Amino acid sequence: MNEKKAPETQEDLMLIQKTLLEVLPKAKAATVSIDLGNGFGSGVIVSKEGLIMSAAHVTGGVEKKVTIIMPDGKKLKAKTLGLMSDTDAALAQITEPGEYPFVEINRINDMKLGDWVFSLGHSGGFNKDRGAVSRLARIVRIANTTYQTDGTLIGGDSGGPLFDMQGRLIGIHSRVGPQLPVNMHVPVPVFLANWDAMMASEFIGEGPFAQEAVRGNGMLGVATKPVEGGLEITKVGQKTAAEKAELKLGDVIRKMNGKEVKTREDLQAIIKEMSAGEELELEITRDGKEEKITVELAER
Amino acid sequence: MEKKRKSQWNSRSAESAILFIGFAMSAMLCAQQSLETQYRITGPGITDLFEPQREVIQQCSAVLYDGSKEISYGLVVSKEGHILTKASEIDGIKSLKLRVDKTSFDEVKVVLVDEKWDVALLKVEAQDLTPAVFAESSDLPQGSWVVVNGATSRTKRRVLAGIISASPREIPAAGGAALGIALTDAKDKLEVKEVTEGGGAATAGMLAGDVILEMDGKKVKKMAELAELMKEKKVGDELKVKVQRKGKEVELTVKLTAKAELFLQPDRNDQMSGNFSMRRSGFPRVIQHDVIANRQTMGGPVLDIKGQVIGMNIARANRCETFAIPVEELRGIVQKMIGAAN
Repeated sequence: MNEKKAPETQEDLMLIQKTLLEVLPKAKAATVSIDLGNGFGSGVIVSKEGLIMSAAHVTGGVEKKVTIIMPDGKKLKAKTLGLMSDTDAALAQITEPGEYPFVEINRINDMKLGDWVFSLGHSGGFNKDRGAVSRLARIVRIANTTYQTDGTLIGGDSGGPLFDMQGRLIGIHSRVGPQLPVNMHVPVPVFLANWDAMMASEFIGEGPFAQEAVRGNGMLGVATKPVEGGLEITKVGQKTAAEKAELKLGDVIRKMNGKEVKTREDLQAIIKEMSAGEELELEITRDGKEEKITVELAER
Repeated sequence: MEKKRKSQWNSRSAESAILFIGFAMSAMLCAQQSLETQYRITGPGITDLFEPQREVIQQCSAVLYDGSKEISYGLVVSKEGHILTKASEIDGIKSLKLRVDKTSFDEVKVVLVDEKWDVALLKVEAQDLTPAVFAESSDLPQGSWVVVNGATSRTKRRVLAGIISASPREIPAAGGAALGIALTDAKDKLEVKEVTEGGGAATAGMLAGDVILEMDGKKVKKMAELAELMKEKKVGDELKVKVQRKGKEVELTVKLTAKAELFLQPDRNDQMSGNFSMRRSGFPRVIQHDVIANRQTMGGPVLDIKGQVIGMNIARANRCETFAIPVEELRGIVQKMIGAAN
């Protein structure tokens, strides 16, 4: 079907449909939604062990905890691996052991203008009844680090897979232009060129699709005073990480990331070494009971 | 350019569904080779191949006008001039006209409206229109070709093709079904503070100051009771509401609408979606396809590759999702509405 400039007969059309129907179920089974806590993206599983390819502006950083939503709604823990902030490529890994449905990667860079392709993604976020949304398209432009297709993408699709008509992964959804038919994808070869570094959780490039974590830009958002056994919270700032994690006035912070905190300086020393988006483990006493709370730091 | 890229990134953090809107890369792409427009999915090199389906659409679809402005499409459902369309798109249109094939009709009667499905049955004076041929079933696997109305001229309908793009399902009312009122803070009574323009309560004649006494024959006094009752309701449901007004009791019948559509606050996905349908939720069941469309191109038939009608376009939900009423339900709607009209 990719030999002809365009389908010429009804049989040609039926061939496109037949091929698509054959490969779609397997492709759908491996297309996942990524829940980032403050938004949704998509991704695709490319190994039995649960390695995921996605976009850098979806994962947003390396070694971050994220939640993967499988097509049946099952939620799995995962962490982000490396990313390429200049081309929008990223990897993540499901951290719960298991065997996962996956797709084959097209490792030969043989895509041509006009090739028939299809997109999948959890448009606008996960919806179990609807499933991953498919779009039939053609490759309309090819550049070094971008494929452009006429299959329309929307928020939530980012990081989702673009397939050739054999059901092999050829790209990852990245961004859209102002018009409906302008939809961009990161070609698989971009991933392959930096595969080992990304597997080693490296942050590659200087943006624009992701920004490297800056040590010391994390913020908890509480005021404290030293008391017996730790630091008592005297104020919880509005719209801060502390408020989001439901820390309350009167809570006494005993430990942060396993270290005892007795003075404000102890607290500041720990926060200073962390960055926005990182998780801080708190051990607190609330109403006489000991509790553990995880706070994702906000940006200062 | 670097600065521009940064600002796009910064705007990302607050959104709920992520997509990078990038103009920065397109400049780089322009220098590269690109596929001629005619061979793209909306180009004539592709759509010309759907000529047999186009001929069906030429006969069994209608183009609706407000004066000379195209506002919607329709589906011919009887030889005698019955046409089904998307009700909310013709609401309040004074000079409704339509065209089937090359014939225009200046006298269009709105016979019936079904709020649940957001469809209206129209009637024009005709004896020999070609009604749509309904397929046995809309149950095509995801990935199957569909053909719908694209652009149109005075004499010629054009088509666009795409695929079934998701599983058939119910589209619940966005934000739940609502009466279209705001209540005062009074704890011991349900007093209407404000009636929302365009909502069911406004149409039913509810007024600010009314105190709600009963709904569906059940006494209600507290917000929680009202909320509990509304939980089970769907868009298009009619609710009998008894209110107290200046010492008298008044009975009203309120048709429910989707709350989020009544108080639309466009999110980022809406902003990148262009001209989507105002009523796009609260449908008992839809099929979904990926054909590029807009608000004005709803109401027309959705054909399978054999040229049979598998549904009727009912909502352009966003940039990449279009909903259609499945033929199974469509058949029932047509029978019921024409039956009631006669």
